[in-house]
Amino acid sequence: MRLRTPLRRHQSRRYTGIVVGAVAVLSLAACTGSAEDAAEDDNGGSDSAPAAAAGSNDEEGDQVTIGFSAPAADHGWMAAITNNVRDLAEEYPDIDLQVAEGTNDVNLQISQVETFINDKVDAIVLLPFDGAAMTPVALKAMEAGIPVINVDREFDDPNAARITVLGDNYGMGVSAGQYVCEQADGNKDAIVAEIAGIDSLPLTQDRSQGFEDALSECGLDVDARQAAEFTVESGEEVAANLLQAEPKIDFLWNHDDDQGVGVLAAIENAGRDEFTMIGGAGSANAMRAIQDDSGVLKATVIYPSTQGADGVKLARLLVQEKAMSDLVEVEVPRTVQLYAPVVTADNVDQYIDSAFES
Amino acid sequence: MSEQSTSRDTGAVENTVTPAKDTVTVERAAAESGGGGGGLMSGSFGRNLGLVVALLLICAAGVITAGDRFASVDNLLTVLRFASALGVVAIGMTFVITGGGIDLSVGAIVALCSVWATTFATQSMATDFHWIVMVFAALAVGAGCGLVNGVLIAYGKVVPFITTLAMLAAARGLAEIISERRTQIVTVDGFKVFFSADVFGVPLLVIIFALVAIAGWVLLNRTTFGRRTLAVGGNPEAARLAGINVNRHTVMLYVLVGLCCGLAALMLVSRTTTGSSTHGTLWELDAIAAVVIGGTLLTGGRGTIVGTVVGVLIFATLGNVFTLNNQDTSTQAVAKGLIIVVAVLLQQRLARNANST
Amino acid sequence: MNDAPLLTMRGIVKRFPGVLALGGVELEVRAGEVHCLLGQNGAGKSTLIKILSASYQPDEGEILWEGKPVTLSTPQAAMELGISTIYQELDLVPDLSVAENIFLGHELSTAGFSQRSETLRRTRDLLARLGHSEIQATRSVGRLSPAAQQIVSMARALSQDTRLLVLDEPSAVLDQGEVDNLFRVIRDLTAEGVAVVYISHRLEEIRKIGDRITVLKDGSTVATGLAVDQTPTSELIKLMTGRSIEYVFPPRSDAPPMTGDPILEVIGLELAGVFTGVDLSVRPGEIVGLAGLVGAGRSEILETLYGARRPSAGTVRVAGKELRRGSVPAAVKAGVGLAPEERKSQGLLLDQAIYSNITVSTLGRFSRFGLLDSRAERKRSTELTESLDVRPAGVDRLVRLLSGGNQQKVVLARWLLRDCRVLLLDEPTRGVDVGARAEIYALVRSLADSGVAVVVVSSEVEEVLGLADRVLVVREGRVVHEGPAGEIDESRVLDLVMEGKVA
Repeated sequence: MRLRTPLRRHQSRRYTGIVVGAVAVLSLAACTGSAEDAAEDDNGGSDSAPAAAAGSNDEEGDQVTIGFSAPAADHGWMAAITNNVRDLAEEYPDIDLQVAEGTNDVNLQISQVETFINDKVDAIVLLPFDGAAMTPVALKAMEAGIPVINVDREFDDPNAARITVLGDNYGMGVSAGQYVCEQADGNKDAIVAEIAGIDSLPLTQDRSQGFEDALSECGLDVDARQAAEFTVESGEEVAANLLQAEPKIDFLWNHDDDQGVGVLAAIENAGRDEFTMIGGAGSANAMRAIQDDSGVLKATVIYPSTQGADGVKLARLLVQEKAMSDLVEVEVPRTVQLYAPVVTADNVDQYIDSAFES
Repeated sequence: MSEQSTSRDTGAVENTVTPAKDTVTVERAAAESGGGGGGLMSGSFGRNLGLVVALLLICAAGVITAGDRFASVDNLLTVLRFASALGVVAIGMTFVITGGGIDLSVGAIVALCSVWATTFATQSMATDFHWIVMVFAALAVGAGCGLVNGVLIAYGKVVPFITTLAMLAAARGLAEIISERRTQIVTVDGFKVFFSADVFGVPLLVIIFALVAIAGWVLLNRTTFGRRTLAVGGNPEAARLAGINVNRHTVMLYVLVGLCCGLAALMLVSRTTTGSSTHGTLWELDAIAAVVIGGTLLTGGRGTIVGTVVGVLIFATLGNVFTLNNQDTSTQAVAKGLIIVVAVLLQQRLARNANST
Repeated sequence: MNDAPLLTMRGIVKRFPGVLALGGVELEVRAGEVHCLLGQNGAGKSTLIKILSASYQPDEGEILWEGKPVTLSTPQAAMELGISTIYQELDLVPDLSVAENIFLGHELSTAGFSQRSETLRRTRDLLARLGHSEIQATRSVGRLSPAAQQIVSMARALSQDTRLLVLDEPSAVLDQGEVDNLFRVIRDLTAEGVAVVYISHRLEEIRKIGDRITVLKDGSTVATGLAVDQTPTSELIKLMTGRSIEYVFPPRSDAPPMTGDPILEVIGLELAGVFTGVDLSVRPGEIVGLAGLVGAGRSEILETLYGARRPSAGTVRVAGKELRRGSVPAAVKAGVGLAPEERKSQGLLLDQAIYSNITVSTLGRFSRFGLLDSRAERKRSTELTESLDVRPAGVDRLVRLLSGGNQQKVVLARWLLRDCRVLLLDEPTRGVDVGARAEIYALVRSLADSGVAVVVVSSEVEEVLGLADRVLVVREGRVVHEGPAGEIDESRVLDLVMEGKVA
């Protein structure tokens, strides 16, 4: 019997690591700029010479029917996933997107995928509510000759997906930790606090592990750690207690910008401003605060809400038998892991347009 | 006074009977309104017929908007497979509601059963012995949860709403503890092979649903258990005074729905090849909605298995048609809400007619 | 006393499906008088009150208020005229305070903000006027004694300029001292010109407080405007019981089985706070009647020996075998059957077919491996309903659609089918038409003749005396008289149950 554990996440990161470095940055750039790029292409603006290959990829090809299914949009990030997918599909006249009802009931999500199979769609982009539970039906789709693009939450069988698009939770922690190290600038006594998400989730454990590992590189460690539940209320409650317990803090990393709304409220209520706060996921709210540069929030680490859109875009390439133009490889890669960059006042303009509204 | 004592003393049978005229009229009126009762009895058939018509209308909408994509055997089986596990729960729920109760904990019990049947320990035993161990585990856990619900409700006199609300929280919490919030994957091949089998092209899950539906119909309409359920739900005091052990029967109703949850959990485990504390999320609402639009009275005393089955199929088909037409989530939720409201309004109208007759 | 009547009701008729509840009631109440409403259970007093408070609408008849016709369409309309009703079951909200209850629905407020101090002041004034300044205005009503709750109800009535106060059995929850205080309050009110309609079973109370009397019987006024001090008790009892329609009681069997072993034996049965020390034995073929007022404990005695209530002391034996305490299934198994008082809420599955109501206690007999043979059920039920002449015929009909008498026959058929040896009948003819009553009496007698032991409870004394072989009179939870039915007459029973002494 196998259990999906943090350990497996680490393993998967290792074997996918090969393509990650090169592809991730590119695909993110392509993705964040996709709306503008596509619009320019439609206008015939092909003066962006280095992107000629990309331009040919974006040219209208055979009609592609893509089925998309994701969990219920009960969180800003998850809502953004589906919205980004819809927006992307509208940019490409050759994509016929079928969006199923967002659901946290695996029974319903399975039947949605079965409907896509019956419908003989060309590809299925699936952000499973539960990766393991959706594996049998994904295998069924693959057996029926329909490629499955697995987004964010992994299946437990590599044969169940042709392409896997993942965020980098461990990398988020590393990015946040490295940013703290830079800012601390050799101060080994800096007090570091962390407000995590739902503690029992593998992704939270990955993020915290990455944070801890990166901090140890510069001799720091986490002095205070509390776990919230990805909601505004829980963020407020946990942060209020944490601030009460720690009279002086130098750095605070909050895993999730949705719960960060509550964390910031608690900081405001406590009248504290002596520390630097780093966010997570990259909501538009957080980025606007970084842009203003007036509060404690100085940076956030992106967990791209464009993964679904990336999945749809890759599905289109796959079906139209196009390669990723900046790779020499003629096939679309097996695994794409997205980079987790740090957004600060210096580079926020570059990211704010792709941020999600929570 | 003297008249009546005479009559008593002589004990005369042929004493004067002069009923007032208007009393006779009233009695005749009552007799006539009773004569119309046959029509009302056929009303239950009519209600099911109305539901079938609603289902056919949704199917017609499916054929018109999606054509062969809707009207294909594969699509039919997709709808039925989706409806199967939920349908089994809804049939159990029909009994509880008919018996005057409610069970909000079904989804959580499904989750707990799915987790319990797929723990490392259970699966080890299943590998060493036989996969039937997993089946036994799920059914036993379901029945156990139902027993706790039933005993608290019948003997503890805690209202069903609160008891099962507590069970909802507790069972899902226990499922999370046992599974450590991880998704447990089924590795017992015998289990997977058995449950994913087809019989003449019909998936076993659908066959289980059909068998449970038939058994449920027989149980409700043709057995002493079913008759007592109607009595307990219709008028618990009258049932008690007629000599029915109402408390014991109530416990059995909750054990029955618990067993249905255990069976549904097995179906879901085979469909996902996993057990998880998130399985069955919000199934209590889907099951209650299906039962109520099916025509079972929420106040108890009248239940229909056919109605419940059609109710489940209506929701399943509606979701399928919406997915085929690429309609978004929100529209579908609104449509679901409208169907529930219209069904309940219709039910109240019928109940009022029955009372005024 | 003003000669123009405050309230006049003429020819009030109210029908319910299958029952004529009121068949032409006349009532005239003057300002400043205490008008007593007298009648046996089921005479229509409650229905009349509900028409006065506009809970029911009359089907025929007219209501005049100070000589002008009015329509009491909603409870609010009745309240606006100044009619307040205090029911037996007090309609107060237990979790609200005394003051909040008194001003519920007409709260004192300025621009939506409640005026707490003014509310409390006026509450204290009202309570003082009722002679109960000791009741705290801020206390929650649920924590008050029944008597104090009744005072709160009266304060509530007084808070809205009441001109006609209807009191339904107000003394039922009071002890003697409290009753005296109640009478003082009533006299104060009438001195201020308020009219009071006073309903009570207790003749001695009526003598003390009443001015005039109206007697109801079988839904009609048989006498109205009788002066209390000029009408002898015997006259009142005769008016209440003397019927225009004579009941037909079947002849008792020639030799009542006064010997032989009793099948039902009750020894020292007690339900704490309700009744105590009840001994009863019934032989096969014998009908024993329990007479007494509502609340005297008659129904509770039946329900307790049936196991529906758990006795605090005493034993029940059937055919020499002691029954498990508080277990209905044990009683049913031993061959005891009950036709309960509230036929609709306790006896019948109204929305189910006649046959399933008949077989509900005998399902095991029609099933094999739990599977019911509904054809056999219908066949047996049809035989029974035909022999009992349930009309209209057809066992698939819903019981809800039958008249009261036919519903009662369905309940009896249930126990006939079970071959029960002891049959307990609680108010067997309540809500049953006169014609059907005779059939039920005949049926009960023929059951007894076939060897069944029958215990009958009825608030209609005549019914108990006419039907039973032996009579027990119950007053306030105790058996005060036991003897052959032929040796006691109705007025003596009424004296026993109403005044506790033999007239």
